[in-house]
Amino acid sequence: MKGISFGQYYPADSVIHRLDPRIKIIMTILYIICTFLCKSVTSFAVLVLSVIALIMFSRIPVRVVLRSVRPLLIIIAFTFVINIFWSTGEQLLVEFWIFRIYAEGVWNAVFMFLRIFALVTGTGVLLTYTTTPMDLTDALESLLSPLKKLHVPVHVFAMMMSITLRFIPTLTEETEKIMNAQKARGADFTSGSLIRRAKSLIPILIPLFVSAINRALELANAMECRCYHGGDGRTRLNVLKCHTKDMVAAILMIVFGVGLVFLNFVPFIYVMK
Amino acid sequence: MDKIILDHVSYIYSAGTPFEQKALDDICLGIRGGCITGIIGHTGSGKSTMMQMLNGLAKPTFGKVLLDGYDINSTMEDVFEEWRILPEYASLSDRKAKKAIGAEIKKRKAGLCFRVGLVMQYPEYQLFEETVFRDIAFGPRNMGLSEEEIRERVLEAAVFTDIGAELLDKSPFDLSGGQKRRVALAGVIAMRPEVLVLDEPAAGLDPLGRSFIFDGIRDYQRKTGSTVLIVSHSMEDMARYCDDVIVMSGARVLRKGSREEVFAHVEELARTGLDIPQITRVMASLRERGVPVPKNIYTVEEAVSALKAVFAEEGTK
Ligand SMILES: Nc1ncnc2c1ncn2[C@@H]1O[C@H](COP(=O)(O)OP(=O)(O)O)[C@@H](O)[C@H]1O
Ligand SMILES: [Mg+2]
Repeated sequence: MKGISFGQYYPADSVIHRLDPRIKIIMTILYIICTFLCKSVTSFAVLVLSVIALIMFSRIPVRVVLRSVRPLLIIIAFTFVINIFWSTGEQLLVEFWIFRIYAEGVWNAVFMFLRIFALVTGTGVLLTYTTTPMDLTDALESLLSPLKKLHVPVHVFAMMMSITLRFIPTLTEETEKIMNAQKARGADFTSGSLIRRAKSLIPILIPLFVSAINRALELANAMECRCYHGGDGRTRLNVLKCHTKDMVAAILMIVFGVGLVFLNFVPFIYVMK
Repeated sequence: MDKIILDHVSYIYSAGTPFEQKALDDICLGIRGGCITGIIGHTGSGKSTMMQMLNGLAKPTFGKVLLDGYDINSTMEDVFEEWRILPEYASLSDRKAKKAIGAEIKKRKAGLCFRVGLVMQYPEYQLFEETVFRDIAFGPRNMGLSEEEIRERVLEAAVFTDIGAELLDKSPFDLSGGQKRRVALAGVIAMRPEVLVLDEPAAGLDPLGRSFIFDGIRDYQRKTGSTVLIVSHSMEDMARYCDDVIVMSGARVLRKGSREEVFAHVEELARTGLDIPQITRVMASLRERGVPVPKNIYTVEEAVSALKAVFAEEGTK
């Protein structure tokens, strides 16, 4: 199954993988809120522990999770530097030229780093690494279904999203195939001037569009042949069900958030104002 | 020496991920020059992967692919020691020799796809030009040939693949499936490759379309003396057109040899689920019933002449 490898989904057999995707979306939102609740050294320590626990529960290799942080390193470094140099406080650590570094600034920078880190890895482990794109769309459709009362075409959006997700790997594969076929005829995509390089994409783009359009027509035909007519009255193959373990997980997340708020009042080392 | 040599070649898709897939497992092969070699095997046995390795599109995860004895994926560091003493580099300084060797390697890499022409599986999706003529000319144009030469090659390729002059000015998108396939084939033949590699060139075509394609390939091979590799599912086509046959199964080479040698192990082929030619089976059951036909019959023509001989024998009795 090459298709599933699209996106970040990392197949494994873990508690988190098996949770109801709707609960996972809610938990992710809660977790994001939690990262912003933290204000003290103790609460951040617990937040870091929670990241470690989540990674362990999800059975995803640490190396894979850390990979998702890499593209954000520049942003993290940038906010870190800004925080260190532009915060003011009472406890002056160093002073040189026009810069003054305060202890508060250092703490704020560290907190900001931990917050972004927890945000990225937490949402990754809770949602994108452990949920297939298809489950994700199903869950979104289910969570947004109250909007149907306001005549928002939730089903259509969800169907469009799942078709798109379904065909991204297909189109990627197709692009690769077409590129290979044209390379076999001596096409060169990497050298020459900008205009030449743009021109060299024509032998890829035209076959790609042709096949994408044909594919869309075929798909529409195939759906109509099976009497597809929108979401009304349609039943599902995989019905999402909320089990006790899902409720427990959600409650744990709420307890975790409340706990973090209480830890903010522990006056240990440093508490953000 | 063999034209193409695969030396302990392995290929792994998505190495280091949970989707890891070994497509080729320690393949050692020699492919004779100047004849047609058929490659047969089940879907997923690694045939396409092996074919894409021959023109450098896929690089072996382990092992080497040699064309005329030269490792097509060699880097400057690989060959430096060996080439340094050649007359054209010996007189140069180290730095200049490095540069010259690097340039030579780059040139060989760029020229590889013109020497080894690859027609991919279902190649009709590669068509993109406004006219059939221009599409066939895409390869030769990339070679940097003159307009005159391009024209000559396109017309020659059209003859090989039986594309009529009236089709050359049409849009390739207006053609039938079989015609598109032939245009795609012509697009590669027009580069006059010394090795022509075809991945299931006749898949999904009707019998007439099949023989157009295969006859064109055979004509090309006979006229140019080039080396041809054909991947196919059909034992019938293998029997009719190929000199050598390679049988692949589960990322490995199961058997390799001349057509006769390979087809002599009919039971083994049948066990891997491959079909032996229908006519061979008919002849085998005739022999079981006491008709004295020879064993090695793979095409209908051979069967006809063998049966004629049998009847003539009986007539003289
Ligand atoms: N792009 C790819 N990514 C991952 N696995 C692949 C890819 N292409 C082929 N494979 C796998 O490699 C094996 C050999 O494939 P292939 O060479 O296409 O076989 P064949 O041409 O004999 O049908 C198969 O198991 C296939 O699933
Ligand atoms: Mg194949």
